Amino acid sequence: MTENLHNDPHAALEAVQASAGDPLQTRANTIVKAADHATPLELSRITIRYGGDKGGAEPVTVVEDFSLTLHAGEMHCVAGRSGSGKTSILTVGAGLTLPTAGRVLWEGQSLETMGDDEIADRRRALIGYVDQGGALIDGMSALENVLLPAVPDGEVEQRTEMAKDLLDLVGLGRRMRHRPAQLSGGERQRVAIARALILGTRVLVVDEPTASLDRASANKIIGILKDTSTDGIAVLVASHDHELVRLSDTLTELN
Amino acid sequence: MNAVQRFIRSRVLLLTSAILIVAMCMSVFIQSQSQAALNRTVDENSRGLYDILVQAKGSKDGKAMIQPEIATGQGGISFDQLEKIRALSGTSVAAPISLVSRVIQNLEAPKLNAMDYLGYNSGLAGGATAGDPTGTDAKKWPAPESVLPEKATKYRLTATAVSSDGVSEQTLFKTSAEGTLGKAKVVEQTTAGGKSIRITGPDGETGIKFPSPAGGSDHNLFNLSVSLPMAPEVTESVVAVDPAAERALLGSAGDFLAPLEKAPPADARNAGAIGRYFEELFTKAPTEQELEEGPDFLGVKLKYWAPLMTQYQQAKLAGQLTDDSQAIPLIVRKGTSLDLKYSVKIEEIDDSGKVVKDIGTVSRSLDKDYLPFVSRSPFTLEWPGSTDHSQLLGNTGNFSQGLYQPAQWSTDFAAAPKYKDGETAANGSLNKSATPGEWVTVNRLPEKSLLGEPVDQTQRQPADERSYRESLATGNTPAAPLPMVYGTFDPAEVQAAAGDVNKLPLGGYDPAPMTLEKDAGGKDTDKGLKPSLSATGLVSQSAGAITDYYGLAAARGYDSNANVIDAVRVRADASGNWKQAQPEVEKLAAEIRAMGLEATVVAGSAREDVSIFVPGYSKDDAGKESALGTVAQSWVRQDAADAVSGSLTGTNITLLFLTLCGATLLTAASTVSYIRQRRNQAGILRAMGWTQGRIRRWVLEEFGIGASVLAVAGLALSLLSWNLGTVIVSVSVLVIYCAAAYIAALMLRHRHEVDQEPQHDERLLPVDSALSFAYRQVVTNRFNSAALAVAVGVFGAAVGALIALLIDIPRAAGASALSGLAAASVALPSVIMAITGVLVGLLLTLVTARFELQAKRQYLSTLEAMGWNPDMLGHVRFFENALVGTVAVILGVLGALALGLILAPYAALWAALAGLLAVICWIPIATKVVK
Repeated sequence: MTENLHNDPHAALEAVQASAGDPLQTRANTIVKAADHATPLELSRITIRYGGDKGGAEPVTVVEDFSLTLHAGEMHCVAGRSGSGKTSILTVGAGLTLPTAGRVLWEGQSLETMGDDEIADRRRALIGYVDQGGALIDGMSALENVLLPAVPDGEVEQRTEMAKDLLDLVGLGRRMRHRPAQLSGGERQRVAIARALILGTRVLVVDEPTASLDRASANKIIGILKDTSTDGIAVLVASHDHELVRLSDTLTELN
Repeated sequence: MNAVQRFIRSRVLLLTSAILIVAMCMSVFIQSQSQAALNRTVDENSRGLYDILVQAKGSKDGKAMIQPEIATGQGGISFDQLEKIRALSGTSVAAPISLVSRVIQNLEAPKLNAMDYLGYNSGLAGGATAGDPTGTDAKKWPAPESVLPEKATKYRLTATAVSSDGVSEQTLFKTSAEGTLGKAKVVEQTTAGGKSIRITGPDGETGIKFPSPAGGSDHNLFNLSVSLPMAPEVTESVVAVDPAAERALLGSAGDFLAPLEKAPPADARNAGAIGRYFEELFTKAPTEQELEEGPDFLGVKLKYWAPLMTQYQQAKLAGQLTDDSQAIPLIVRKGTSLDLKYSVKIEEIDDSGKVVKDIGTVSRSLDKDYLPFVSRSPFTLEWPGSTDHSQLLGNTGNFSQGLYQPAQWSTDFAAAPKYKDGETAANGSLNKSATPGEWVTVNRLPEKSLLGEPVDQTQRQPADERSYRESLATGNTPAAPLPMVYGTFDPAEVQAAAGDVNKLPLGGYDPAPMTLEKDAGGKDTDKGLKPSLSATGLVSQSAGAITDYYGLAAARGYDSNANVIDAVRVRADASGNWKQAQPEVEKLAAEIRAMGLEATVVAGSAREDVSIFVPGYSKDDAGKESALGTVAQSWVRQDAADAVSGSLTGTNITLLFLTLCGATLLTAASTVSYIRQRRNQAGILRAMGWTQGRIRRWVLEEFGIGASVLAVAGLALSLLSWNLGTVIVSVSVLVIYCAAAYIAALMLRHRHEVDQEPQHDERLLPVDSALSFAYRQVVTNRFNSAALAVAVGVFGAAVGALIALLIDIPRAAGASALSGLAAASVALPSVIMAITGVLVGLLLTLVTARFELQAKRQYLSTLEAMGWNPDMLGHVRFFENALVGTVAVILGVLGALALGLILAPYAALWAALAGLLAVICWIPIATKVVK
């Protein structure tokens, strides 16, 4: 089966998703066992405001009364100029920051009702977050970076083959022993996507995946994201890449 | 942007320089305060009652410790030399002292009084109170009573004397006598010319008689008195002083010597003449008041006139009084430290000797009631249950007070004990051992009684005592002197006058007590040693009396300018504390030395306990000798002020140096760590075409500003404190800072090789936990991790060294009484400085760690985005610091141990422990900061 997966990236992705029902399923995954929730991520009338500082900067509202419902298999693109609040919406959607107002619901459950530990556990099972630029950890190989989400549940060994498959999927099967310093920007981005998918995530949140990449590298990333959504994973991506915008199922354009 | 602007904008350089300058200012300030407190304490407490101890050449063995027994009887200083010292310019008081003589005296035969009051009988001829206004009115006399039975009853009396040296008891005798006693009665009998009455015992009463020299028993109107066996003899010594000089030395505590100043001159002290004067005085029927207060003798009320009369009469009868006999004026010590307990057990027995009834045991010790030369006589024990009604007779002015036997005066007395130096303890205190001499047999009865009868020697148990003193046979044998007691003194008050810290030995009348610290087996104990009976033992017998210099001549038979003075205690005519008086004292001492005498400057000294091992102290029945153990005695440490001041000043400077050098090293580590951040800037500048040298200068300019600020701060502090230590420390701080700056600048050099990690390293642990993740991060950023570990290690070592110095302060201060005060004066500032050093060090390690904060926050937020929960992130933070701490702890402990061994070897292990704790404490603090 592994060999087949290596040859067929879509099969690999399906296998990763199927692992949600495997015996090694973790506590986090068990919580979301009714995984196939129709709307894994919903932002309801959120407002994001950043306060002023002692230097005299004025408070600024970057997002106001914003709502978004993300369905399984849907690729939604949040577009807009720099500073329009794209990254803020993504970090709020990933539960990394809380909105000033409004609600964030993961598979129908509001984050307001959860504690920090529960949010972390749920995020691990539900959401894969890819930071702008990839944000890999220095000193660790691509494979080790991909396996980092499995560390809290002690599943590093069990997930190793999957990680390799995912690196194959993103076209980096031969670079899995390389460190971030030895990878290009696009390669780092792809490692980060593989890392986001390692635990069978249902929502992939990706921030500016093609920024500062050449067209060829950008197209590779866009293809992976599109394939991911095609396989039933909801993808929320922030970008002003026209190609990405064109291929998205839905679009929000921020002023 | 110029270098100053860059320095200010570069907050790290500004911050570390500011921390360093603040640390310098605080440390120097605290050190200055500490030094001032130390100097004040030492100066104010290191000048005693006198400044210079003058002895004969060769009396002092050159050591820094002066033993308290300066009145040795060896003499060596003449009256002429004393006058020359007094004539020296700058001499305020020159008080001579000398051990005069040894006096052996038998306590007068004790008595046992059984109340046997027969009752007032108006028919008694004369009436006991007739004509006596102080007597009790006949109507108020109580009913007759007696503790004795009507019929003669058989009793056994067992008299015992036990002596104790504070360690063990020794029974000196135990003697029994039997006989019958009963209530006396008045018998009227017809005599020629009328009737008379006599007091007699009941029919069949035999009385009780102990062997000679004790007597039998005797009834009078009030008592049945039984003469008990003679108590053991006690040896006393007499010290001669100049009363006027001694009073000047002691202040008000010497007022007891005032009567001695009124003593007649030597040529007016003929014992026979004085005795006859008193005989004549009593032929004129002295008044009751005169008898109570003592007759006036040349302006002095001689309260203790009875001993003089008794001894005069006895000496005259025995033919001991010659034309050359002198009367010696004496001030007598109150009480004694000699422990001698006398007891009598009284049992009623039947004809077969079997005990019918235990009446009881009565006992008495020599204590504060005991006065040598004028002991409260008779040494009386009271029959259990009896009541003394003798006061009903009023004041009889009897002659019962005083010695029944004249003391034997001897010039064959013992000098100070001889000691050998042992090892020097950690705090500089000396260990010594006593040198045992011959065995001396004590507690023997005289061969004949006063009446010339042979004495039954079986009444006493002779005891062997170890002598630790050389016996000195000095001078001619003088005629038996006639003691003339002028008053008493309390040695405790004299000791109090000498103070506690700078307690200099005053001479033979203020003996320094000895305490047994460890017994022969080395076991800890705390027992005060008491003088032995012979006065040749280790503990000196306190002087029984003080006389003047004419008394000395009388007792020792020297001519008018004999070298009989043991020591002269000289106070310089210079006011103020020790430091202020020092030049004058040194000058005076030099002039005295020029006279051929030994002059020891004792100003600036302090008392200090010396541990003395005492071998060969006692022997068992088989003759096997055993040691006493180790005793402690207060001696005097010469130059204690300079030693304490020098030592604690050194500790102070070291604390300052350690605090600032530790802070500078941490600043250096922080700087080196910080420079990694400047590499990016260096790369940009290089791209702009700057050369390596230009880039280095560019950075060094910024450090130069920091160094300039530090130099200015150091110069200002050095000028303010005016202290060489501050100058040295400031220069050291500057040098370390500049070295760190140069190293940091060197690190900016361009690296041609790409800083790549190996593609795959099988030795690396797989990342499968928070610990392995932390380990990977530490390894990946190993340069900064190592820099941080070194910084934390330096912190631990500095903390350890500071603690070691604090612990070491009491040892460094020394063992003298001044040391304790001085150490206390610097303890608080030292603790504050150490805490300041620790806080500064901690702050700087956190500054060093701060350079990694941004990177840490970045990957921690990445992990958070992956779903790592807060606990796991906390574990990562903790493990990273714990791994750095693991490396640092080795450096910290080893560094602390090494510094401890260099600075304070006796606290080195504590230093290592403190270093370990400092690093361990740093881990959670740093973890908290990263959070």
